[in-house]
Amino acid sequence: MNLDSKSPSGPLEQKWSKHKGEVKIVNPANKRHHRIIVVGTGLAGASAAASLGELGYEVHSFCIHESGRRAHSIAAQGGINAAKNYSNDGDSVYRLFYDTIKGGDFRSREANVHRLAEVSVNIIDQCAAQGVPFAREYSGELANRSFGGTQVSRTFYARGQTGQQLLLGAYQAMMRQVNEGRVKLFARREMLDLVMINGKARGIITRNLETGAIERHSADAVVLATGGYGRIFYLSTNAMNSNCTAIFRAYKRGAAFANPCFTQIHPTCIPVSGGYQSKLTLMSESLRNDGRVWVPKKKEDCKKNPNDIADEDRDYYLERRYPSFGNLVPRDVASRAAKQVCDEGRGVGESGLAVYLDFRDAIKRDGEPKVREKYGNLFDMYHEITDENPYQVPMRIYPAVHYTMGGLWVDYNLMTTIPGLHAVGEANFSDHGANRLGASALMQGLADGYFVLPYTIGHYIASTKLDKVTTDAPEFAAAEADVRAQIDGLMKIGSKGKKTVDEFYREVGTMMWDNVGMSRTTKGLEETIKNFQKLRAEFYENVRIPGESGEFNKQLEMAGRVADFLELGELMARDALERNESCGGHFREEMQTDEGEAKRDDDQFCHVSAWEYKGRETAPVLHKEKLSFESIHLAQRSYK
Amino acid sequence: MSASSSKLSASRGLSILPALFRTSVGQKLLTALTGVALVGFIVMHLLGNLTLLAPDAGPFNLYAHKLDSLGPLKILAEVGLVALFGLHILNGILLKLDHKRARPVSYGYAPKSKGGPSYSNASSRNMIVSGSILLFFLILHIVQFRFGPSLSEGYTTLLDGGVEARDLHRLIVETFSNPAMVAIYVGTTLFLGSHVRHGFWSMFQSLGLMKQSRSRALYAAGLVVGLVLAVGFLALPIVLYFRSQGV
Amino acid sequence: MKLNLEIWRQKNPKTQGEFKKYSLDDVSPNMSFLEMLDHLNEKLIRDGIEPVEFDSDCREGICGSCGVIINGQAHGPKVGVATCQLYMRHFEDGATVVVEPWRAKAFPVVKDLVVNRSAYDRIIQAGGYVSTKTGGHPDANAILVPKQDADKAFEYATCIGCGACAAACPNASASLFTAAKISHLSLMPQGQPEKDARVVNMVNQMDMEGFGNCSNIGECSAACPKQIPLEAIASMKSDYIKASLK
Repeated sequence: MNLDSKSPSGPLEQKWSKHKGEVKIVNPANKRHHRIIVVGTGLAGASAAASLGELGYEVHSFCIHESGRRAHSIAAQGGINAAKNYSNDGDSVYRLFYDTIKGGDFRSREANVHRLAEVSVNIIDQCAAQGVPFAREYSGELANRSFGGTQVSRTFYARGQTGQQLLLGAYQAMMRQVNEGRVKLFARREMLDLVMINGKARGIITRNLETGAIERHSADAVVLATGGYGRIFYLSTNAMNSNCTAIFRAYKRGAAFANPCFTQIHPTCIPVSGGYQSKLTLMSESLRNDGRVWVPKKKEDCKKNPNDIADEDRDYYLERRYPSFGNLVPRDVASRAAKQVCDEGRGVGESGLAVYLDFRDAIKRDGEPKVREKYGNLFDMYHEITDENPYQVPMRIYPAVHYTMGGLWVDYNLMTTIPGLHAVGEANFSDHGANRLGASALMQGLADGYFVLPYTIGHYIASTKLDKVTTDAPEFAAAEADVRAQIDGLMKIGSKGKKTVDEFYREVGTMMWDNVGMSRTTKGLEETIKNFQKLRAEFYENVRIPGESGEFNKQLEMAGRVADFLELGELMARDALERNESCGGHFREEMQTDEGEAKRDDDQFCHVSAWEYKGRETAPVLHKEKLSFESIHLAQRSYK
Repeated sequence: MSASSSKLSASRGLSILPALFRTSVGQKLLTALTGVALVGFIVMHLLGNLTLLAPDAGPFNLYAHKLDSLGPLKILAEVGLVALFGLHILNGILLKLDHKRARPVSYGYAPKSKGGPSYSNASSRNMIVSGSILLFFLILHIVQFRFGPSLSEGYTTLLDGGVEARDLHRLIVETFSNPAMVAIYVGTTLFLGSHVRHGFWSMFQSLGLMKQSRSRALYAAGLVVGLVLAVGFLALPIVLYFRSQGV
Repeated sequence: MKLNLEIWRQKNPKTQGEFKKYSLDDVSPNMSFLEMLDHLNEKLIRDGIEPVEFDSDCREGICGSCGVIINGQAHGPKVGVATCQLYMRHFEDGATVVVEPWRAKAFPVVKDLVVNRSAYDRIIQAGGYVSTKTGGHPDANAILVPKQDADKAFEYATCIGCGACAAACPNASASLFTAAKISHLSLMPQGQPEKDARVVNMVNQMDMEGFGNCSNIGECSAACPKQIPLEAIASMKSDYIKASLK
């Protein structure tokens, strides 16, 4: 397997402009003869579909939801980073680049990250031109706030609903292209396989989720913008329909899966409250601008009313341990610190698995109206879920799975190891290394879709001989037969099985959280690999699926996704086991400093781990892309 | 692309009307405009009728005679009123039919208002009911008075200056000595009040003049206007009835 | 807590539906309404009954996927939340809860509580955007937007497209949804050049989708999880009338 990153040569800050000048371009008159499939309508997918449609390509856009506007990008709360330096606090493209590389614990590709920082400024201009109602100052200029892992104020936002506003902007741009006839929407479709002809990605097989029909779609290039796989943990902040199926089926067809174990555990989520819970709710990182994180110093105070605990009995542990970044340390650091204090027995709430996020001082300083203006919707959401008023008692928060940095391996052109198959947004692995900084996911999704892919996919199309294919090709028939066989197989077991899909799914989640979650051990990972093999065998004997395949059937949809999670879980455990170092969100207990901080091993692990599929019950093969840093000195990360 | 070049979809409403009035916004605009005119007419009607409260029949019959002697103007006014009422009513019926079409299967559990910013109340939800009652009343009212007994049936009076005129006053007094008639008129005025209560606010919204800050106040004003009209019209038959009873 | 459920069951768009009764006796007050339905479904699947289909995704009130009529109220009794944010603590122990799909000609039932709301997509498609290209824009701060306009535009732009407005409207009108997008864009300087065409095209599309007419009852705004004010509709009407008279 060839892992050529295709990073352009030359000085870092000139790579992207040089590359843009060198890529081949498709003649405007020819673009309409090239069809591009875009799977997913989140920030990356919708912005890609809109931009490609506008360039003149024939775009077929697929989404799992009934409408492109429902993709989970919509739930992003806090904001989007851009190196605009509007705050005049010393920000620059280089600083954003550096913060992102450092935040990712030096496990991302320099050239990609620098490009991301460069185009970040265009994204804000683009969204403003679309009429996205960003927060404004009284001058009418755009407002900024701070996020974790940075010491500048570069985050643009729209109250606590930034993702919603940006996604609606991209969705509307896409709907405009639908109106122009350049984008064709296929809603309620799930991609179940990738079709390859002569070694190139030439189409997909989908299931129409309303009718159950299996459909073939052909194209000259395929773009996967299907998001991350955090839902493998069952409980996460991801949406119910978020899944790994599209990228996992591509992986099975030969696309390398990079750094699968790099998972982001977000420090500020509403804690789990019961076994019936279906998902967790995030409280935006922006809250750490004004909220102070603490637990009681003494274990015996943990069950007390927090307002009765005097200041000297409180341990503001982030401010204590990381004085220069304080409450705004990166997510992995904040999450781990919360786990540590809870492991010490100082966690609060009924389960003891929570810490306080306290706004008492901010309310005292700025007054309740000011706090309400900034965070009102988050406070209301918290109040509704927990039945506690965060204006009066501190919020209780605990880390939860939020994002996956890993994904399909892509080169500088965002193309996977399968020619013609591209991956954008959270579905690829490229920009965040081992930990993503807050407000950078929106930035990456839109960067890929608006400003990177439209150039690079044109290069692929212009420089590749693409024979005409139709869905009558034998490869389509074969892929469709595979998909039908899988569905029929599941339905056959499902009619007799005893254990519901959800029961299996919860077991997958528990195994992942306990052993491949915030901290990982050799023993735990080795056991998890075995346990996944066992659970998989049981699944294929005893899963219960009601209904029929030729109709709307959510249980069948979920069964297919859980089947993929049952394999992905093992892959994640293998990757975590192989990476015997701690970096970013990946924390191996064996590898920590005396102070309990992550200990990297740059000699052995300064690479991207890209896994090649070899069969459901056969171990995958590891390939490595060496990461070389030209303009950054590899240093132990410190936020003290 | 300018708005004028994009085509209006003439899909609903009265097909003889200009395109604007055949869109959802235009249909309600028509209801609002005719509604404003009708409220204007009703206010004038009430003010004129207050002459019935005078101790003798003179002022009212004089007022009625003045209106009667407008000649072509009177016919014009009558045609105008028929057109206004006709448009308002027909449009209202078509709207209601549209609503039925828009929800062919109704809810199994009777819908309940969530309160808050909602103006869902007996008035707003039953405009078609209050409107229909007003329509039936309107027919009765016109038959009774506009086409009721006149000079040839002996309802004559001599106005100041010796002019012979229709004694409408007598007809009214006779009508309202019948308690059943009083009850019908009093009942109808309550529906008028209810119709105007929602219609008044609704008009601002349909004309695109509503501001959130004024919304509650205007809705309250609608209630006041509705009440004033109702009380005004309700007072007349009651007063006349008690007079006929010698109270 | 105990719950008596009456839920609309309909196999597909072509078949007739009916209410079916189910009961649950182990509902936690801390469950969300959808988690209660998940819980019911697990029980149904084990009993060999087909689970109740319903749409949901983010489960934090922002994606607009979920939405059912609960005892005659869109998104249930609580104001300002979507169904996924409604917690069972708002119901009484032993209560009877009737659950139905959104009902409107423009929202055909797909299965059980799932409806097809693509009509909303087509309304946006008709003009709910600024026709700007990718790239080539001036610096974002080159266009100043007064804070109060931006805040108001944001308020309208928070619409999640769930369909509760049309579902709660006695006339099944989509005016609040349509008006929210129109009013958002017509408050922003970026939305000015296409203001007239946008309002005309979007309103016409709304009409063609078969939604009913707005009779200014305001139940839409009460049912709206984002509490979008009725003023949006007045503003849309004003824009429409002005555009039509040009």
